[in-house]
Amino acid sequence: MASVQLTKGTRAYTIYKWAGVLALVLLVFVAAFAFNDTGKISVFDNDYKIGLTRITKAISFMVAILGLQVVAGFTGQLSLGQGFFFGTGAYLSAWLVADHSWPWFLTLVVVVPACFLLGLLFGVPALKIKGLYLALVTLGLAAVFPSLILLDVLEPYTAGAAGKIVDSDLIAPEWMPLDGIATGLQKIPLIGQYFGDGDLSSKQEQRIWTFFLMAVLAAVCFKMVSNLISSRPGRAIRAVRDNETSAAVNGMSLSYHKTMSFGVASALGGVGGMIYVAELGIASQGDFTQLLSILFIVGLVVGGVGTLSGAVIGGLVIAFIPEWASSTQNMPGVPDRWLQGPTGGLILGVGLIVLTFVLPGGIISGVRKLRAKIVQVLPAPIRVGESIAAKE
Amino acid sequence: MDLFLQRIFDGLSNGATYALIAMALVMIFKATTLINFAQGEFAMFGGFIVLVLATEQGLPMWIAVIVGMLISAVLAAGIERTLIRPFDPADHLPLVIITLGLFLAINAIAGIVWRFDPRAFPELFPSGKAMSIAGATLSWYTVFTMITILVVAGGLTLLLNKTKVGLAFRAVSSNLESSELVGIKVGPTLQFGWAIAAAVGTLGVSVFVASPFRQLEPQVMVTGLIFAVSAAALGGLDSLGGAILGGLAIGLVQSIAVPYLGVPTELSLLAAVVVLLLVLLFKPSGLFGTPQVERV
Amino acid sequence: MTDRLLDVKNLHAGYGPIAVLHGLDFHVSEGEIVVILGANGAGKTTTLRAVSGMIDRTGSIELAGKSIASAKAPDLVRAGVAHVPQGRGTLPELSVEDNLRVGAYIRNDNEIDADIEQWFQAYPVLGERKNQRAGSLSGGEQQMLAVARALMSRPTLLLLDEPSLGLAPIIVADLFERFAEINKELGTTMLVVEQNAQLALGIADRGYVIESGEMFAEGPAGELINDDAIRRAYLGV
Repeated sequence: MASVQLTKGTRAYTIYKWAGVLALVLLVFVAAFAFNDTGKISVFDNDYKIGLTRITKAISFMVAILGLQVVAGFTGQLSLGQGFFFGTGAYLSAWLVADHSWPWFLTLVVVVPACFLLGLLFGVPALKIKGLYLALVTLGLAAVFPSLILLDVLEPYTAGAAGKIVDSDLIAPEWMPLDGIATGLQKIPLIGQYFGDGDLSSKQEQRIWTFFLMAVLAAVCFKMVSNLISSRPGRAIRAVRDNETSAAVNGMSLSYHKTMSFGVASALGGVGGMIYVAELGIASQGDFTQLLSILFIVGLVVGGVGTLSGAVIGGLVIAFIPEWASSTQNMPGVPDRWLQGPTGGLILGVGLIVLTFVLPGGIISGVRKLRAKIVQVLPAPIRVGESIAAKE
Repeated sequence: MDLFLQRIFDGLSNGATYALIAMALVMIFKATTLINFAQGEFAMFGGFIVLVLATEQGLPMWIAVIVGMLISAVLAAGIERTLIRPFDPADHLPLVIITLGLFLAINAIAGIVWRFDPRAFPELFPSGKAMSIAGATLSWYTVFTMITILVVAGGLTLLLNKTKVGLAFRAVSSNLESSELVGIKVGPTLQFGWAIAAAVGTLGVSVFVASPFRQLEPQVMVTGLIFAVSAAALGGLDSLGGAILGGLAIGLVQSIAVPYLGVPTELSLLAAVVVLLLVLLFKPSGLFGTPQVERV
Repeated sequence: MTDRLLDVKNLHAGYGPIAVLHGLDFHVSEGEIVVILGANGAGKTTTLRAVSGMIDRTGSIELAGKSIASAKAPDLVRAGVAHVPQGRGTLPELSVEDNLRVGAYIRNDNEIDADIEQWFQAYPVLGERKNQRAGSLSGGEQQMLAVARALMSRPTLLLLDEPSLGLAPIIVADLFERFAEINKELGTTMLVVEQNAQLALGIADRGYVIESGEMFAEGPAGELINDDAIRRAYLGV
């Protein structure tokens, strides 16, 4: 039995909800300054870096996984091709920024419609191709991406095997007192030491600024998907997942919603790619193999299929686990050979299997079960008398 | 003309490998309508077992291949029992996720144990050319890969049509419930399919890397699986004969169409994916597969 | 009570959270044909599926004095129960001959080929089409093949689930005649679930009527067919 009970619509519930939002914003804020580039955890002489660049990378993955949530989580279609759209978004915006000097965020004007249309293009065959067959085609699509980048015709735009380098950083405007905030945080007793020392370098300011902007962009994407889900078309989309034939009988245009969901997912994949390349400064074809698409599926499942917060957890997992695994050099009882190889892949693979067995709803379902023990949210009571009175 | 013929020969020997992996995919799909996304990695792992048996244990090459096939079959049967059977065979999503997890884990284990440096594979077939036809060289390698797929196809056909376990396997593919009602234990029968698939896959990779132009490394089947999947889908995912023709067709497309169309080699993978897409769009059951009807 | 081949007491079963059967008692004696009647959704099919171990169930089920309440379907075939499920029980992609052969899956004797040959003689249409896919046969032929396939396991108890479903009346009449023949010649005990009460009671020794998962009436076939209340409510005459 939960120790705290809250009823929807009451003041206490509103406070609880806003406290959650506030905590999240605070966490993002603190993360930006605390984990700039110094943040790390040490276990058994291994340094696990938390660095802000990695968090921003995780954000790019979160947005891509959010796209998968739309296509897999809400319509029940399995796409193993999200890496294709992620890569497309990354290369498109890299090209616009590097060769045409566009500002990063303006590239979204091209990236979003382009990936959306590409998604529609592949969403149309998806109408005829169901379940596993769709997984096959999309996996093929993902596998093909790196070789497309190497094509001679595209080489002038993609820089081929060398990778497209983008030398344009997001610089915080003058009026943003990032330095002042950092100094202020450093002065807080006890915890001040975790916020670094002295003034921020321009590189650090840039990282913080990039992180802020991308966190906001991701938040906007999440909010939009959340609205989409609770909207009428969103409910239609979920009906498609639950039973295609019944939904069709009830007069829903399956093809329209399925294609649209593919388009939306692909557009989100493109946005993720733009965030990725804006942070990294280089788009290289080796990053966008079918392995990346499979990692997105790992993120989707590990976080929890069909949940928005699952996408956040999934993004963090696939951004950090492989890197942390490769920075593990000493572990008592584990032979060195097992630490020097592709341990991250092993952990993710085994983790994926274990989670499918013990927690099919992903980490988020575990968190929810835990939370349900502490806080219980009750639906708002229906006040029959009042509404009648109001009408009269 | 000689160049054209040469390309046909090359295409056939590439296609033979795709056909073998495609047959492995078909064995599992026939029984469970599931695609094992880790099939290529199973095969790669089996290839390393063969390599270890031949080079480190000093077994004669063909004995090593057969022992390697048996070991992979046992490993796959164990994986089926522990990781696949606990799930409802009709619910594909968790099963696909398990095979993706296996893909990552097996690839990583191979990388940890054997590292990522390519290794030369011992000679499986006599080297050199068997004969020259109109200026094109037909190598022994091509001849023997073709013989291998015919032997495998013949062996599988006999196994499925003339043995009791084969009969049970075909019954389970046809109707799960009726099979249980004649006393067939579905779990062990599907396990048999997984074991056979792994053995065939191991043979496929052994033949693939036995080419003088190839080496064995953990990534060897990552794109190979895409070719095999296209081959299997082209032939119809539940048809063994279709898998062979599909494999050879994909091999030929790769070696003939790609250079003649003047497109770069990078596009051979794209060609395979385009074939896959076209087949699924216009004939989802492939050339020889059984059409499926969906019920409410 | 040693002549009770199948003895079922307090049978409960259902699908997931939905309970369908609420404690059924019935029995089938050796050599009998017993029919279970009832309207759509009364739980007839569920009863058979529960007996043959296709679904989870509780209660006591004894076959020739031995409890089979926890056995699964493949083991029950070995115990001598053959079940012909609703809507044909053939393996459509397999040839007619393979369907019969797979019916003898649990047998290891060397009379299988002879038995197959016997069926081909008894039903020449099966013999003529032995190499064709079972799915290409007509509905009545498939139903007959399904019954032959079930009998290939040499069962002591044959469960038939709505054999008349979807078949033309003339074919159904022929089918039931053949059931009576098989019962007489092979001595196979049968438990038949049917909506076509007239025909079923015509060949049966005894009958049960179930309603909403509970036993409503039981008795010798001749009495049931003449009971006015049952005739009006359940037998649709």
